[in-house]
Amino acid sequence: MTNPLSLWNFYFRNKRKVLPVVGILALAILGVVVTDSLLASARETAYATFGSYQKLILVAPRATRDQDLANPLQESLSRLRDVQLQVDSLDGPGGISSYYDAVVALPARLRGQLPSVQQVEVDAANARYYAARLRGDLVPLGDLIVRVQRLQSEEKSFTQLVQQLTERPNDPRPLITYLQQHQTWLQSVVPDSAQLGRLQSAVISASADANGLQASLQALSRDSANLNTSGQSLANLPVPPSPSGTIDQFKSALDRLTASLGSIEEPQPGLDKLLADSARIPGTAFVKRDAYSNLDINLLAGNAQFDLYGVDQPGMAQLLALYGDRVAAGRLPRPNANEIAVSEEIARSRHVWIGGQLGNNLDELDRLPDAFSVVGIIRGPTRIGVIPLDYMTQHYLFERRYQGLVVVPQSGHEQVVHDQLQKMIGSTAFRLFDWPYIKAKIDSLIQNLDAINRFLVILVTIVLSLVVGLLNNLFFRQRMNEFGLLAAVGYGRWALIRRVAWESLGVTVAAWGVGIGAAIAVLSWFNTSFMVPHGLVMNVFDWNVLLLHTLPIPLMVFLFGMSTVGWQLLRLDPISIIERRD
Amino acid sequence: MLAAQDLVLDYRSGTAIAHAVDTVSLRVERGSFIGLIGPSGSGKSSLMYLLSGLKRPTGGAVTFDGHDYRELSAARLIRLRRQHFGFVFQQHFLVNYLSAIENVTVGALRRNHDTAAYAQELLRRVGLGDKLQKRPYQLSIGERQRVAVARALVHRPAVVFADEPTASLDQATGHEVVSLLAEYRQAGGGSVVVVTHDPAMLTGADRVLQMRDGRLN
Repeated sequence: MTNPLSLWNFYFRNKRKVLPVVGILALAILGVVVTDSLLASARETAYATFGSYQKLILVAPRATRDQDLANPLQESLSRLRDVQLQVDSLDGPGGISSYYDAVVALPARLRGQLPSVQQVEVDAANARYYAARLRGDLVPLGDLIVRVQRLQSEEKSFTQLVQQLTERPNDPRPLITYLQQHQTWLQSVVPDSAQLGRLQSAVISASADANGLQASLQALSRDSANLNTSGQSLANLPVPPSPSGTIDQFKSALDRLTASLGSIEEPQPGLDKLLADSARIPGTAFVKRDAYSNLDINLLAGNAQFDLYGVDQPGMAQLLALYGDRVAAGRLPRPNANEIAVSEEIARSRHVWIGGQLGNNLDELDRLPDAFSVVGIIRGPTRIGVIPLDYMTQHYLFERRYQGLVVVPQSGHEQVVHDQLQKMIGSTAFRLFDWPYIKAKIDSLIQNLDAINRFLVILVTIVLSLVVGLLNNLFFRQRMNEFGLLAAVGYGRWALIRRVAWESLGVTVAAWGVGIGAAIAVLSWFNTSFMVPHGLVMNVFDWNVLLLHTLPIPLMVFLFGMSTVGWQLLRLDPISIIERRD
Repeated sequence: MLAAQDLVLDYRSGTAIAHAVDTVSLRVERGSFIGLIGPSGSGKSSLMYLLSGLKRPTGGAVTFDGHDYRELSAARLIRLRRQHFGFVFQQHFLVNYLSAIENVTVGALRRNHDTAAYAQELLRRVGLGDKLQKRPYQLSIGERQRVAVARALVHRPAVVFADEPTASLDQATGHEVVSLLAEYRQAGGGSVVVVTHDPAMLTGADRVLQMRDGRLN
């Protein structure tokens, strides 16, 4: 004979009342597991995304006043104006054109006697040609410099606007003022802002033409000297005066411009010395120059910049070997090509594969200029992306200025190498990024979400405790006759409390189990259908989340429910129930 | 076996004291059928609560088989009630989610084959042999009360206390219920104490005690 008051009888016969409670609790537990798992996933994905820092230290230039392009740009613009004036002078009175005209005007008889006149004619024509070209080059060059300057100042205004909005998020006036002031400018300049690399090609073109002009002018000087010497041997030859003074002035103006433009292209001062010095630090495995860049990827907790290492070909192979990664499909980028090889998780998160394209042309948050073709998919324990150093430094002005180093310590020497590097850098305009720093940043980011999540879990637990406690009480009142009778016929109060405790415990444990089971099912599905295809990391069987993080819900619900019902049972007077006439 | 000596039960309300039971002495012999009658508020139910140990008296003593309730701890008194007494109340107090047979075995001390057989036998005896698996809401009020009687008898108690067992029943059904208790007594099961305000229900009683204002007349 079975015990009629057994727990099984209670649950089975009261399933209409028990199941909704189990359902509510299970749903809450499911919710907690899902939010906690997503949060854990955000953290794990962030760790995986920046996992390459676990084995290397990135030495990156700090943004300083020297690093700011504004100064060399302004200087270059002044120099350019000087050169423009000098080019105009070359073409003006006493310049190349008038000299050329004078030489051409020499009598044909004389020109036949003096071959050097013909040479002067050719060189003067060349000089005129290059001067015209240079004049043409300088217009877009000046325009590009102005645009870069304005873009830089716009960045400062924008930073200031962001700061104002951060301080007073409810005050839209700064935003409105900014848009009113900059609307026209934004419309005219922003579409071109992605093509700032043209500045460098304009500089190269102008330099080539300036070199041509200089060569022509030198030849012209030499020829005019020859002509003068020859002319002196002929009586009454009206040899025109050479424009050597104007040419000399132009040369010095051009030299100043060339030097100024050169300073725009220079990387951070001291990088070469740092490269050599860091390679000598004991415990350093290898050091590589790095024109690093970034890809915009989604980490669930928000977008993040995935670091790309701009290294030479041996460096790419060294990095892959360092992490135990391999090229699973395709190949590594070729030298001096806009190509990229990237980990498959990152490729998935950006929905690209071999033949796909990445870069600022496609995603304005990519700090990878223009467009790069994906040529390799990397597979292995660490997520990594590599791009060619030479392509980055030879094609992109800004990237040239933001070169850094990748310093790889030997295993176990990370802290020593870090400390030595830090000491070496001192107050220079470099900064170190290593795993402890990156991890602290990630943790700080997740910490806020963690706090929100904890608050929500506490809120859910409190609300659920109240709701289920209330349901318990209602259910208990419906069973008052049962408890009154049992107390009257000889069941002690503590026996009744124990009975109710087992009943409540069974419900909460069942709900806990159902909730966790449902959570595993939902997370498995979500992981397969969304997380993995997007390159996100999720541990479905994180028992810390599944058990420990959800424990407060059944525990609180049980304790709260039992405390209210237990209190009533302790004060239970069977006679008051027996005597009720309802 | 069950004896009460100078039992007093007072209810205090502020400075006022109401004597629900006022210096009552009586003995319930083994196998006897005692009827307690009286108007509402006369103290008959209170006397039954004192005799069954459901309430502690303000004064006086109750003994059962030589055990003075005053000397028993709450736990022992509860155990005594569970082992030796059976109860039938005005309401049936059946557990809604249990069948008739299961409700009967709620009162059992041991749950074995014999008890199950005896529970079935009791239900057959009270005319519910074909309704063993019915739930309380599937039974009439009279049938529910008969299940409550079977529950009170299933552990073969020494004394069955019935407090207004027929109050919510029609007369014929009420007679059936009381006669079930009388049968138990006649079969040598134990004593029966029936509290009622209807003297017609006590035709088979050995003694009928009348209460008024907390005293036995």
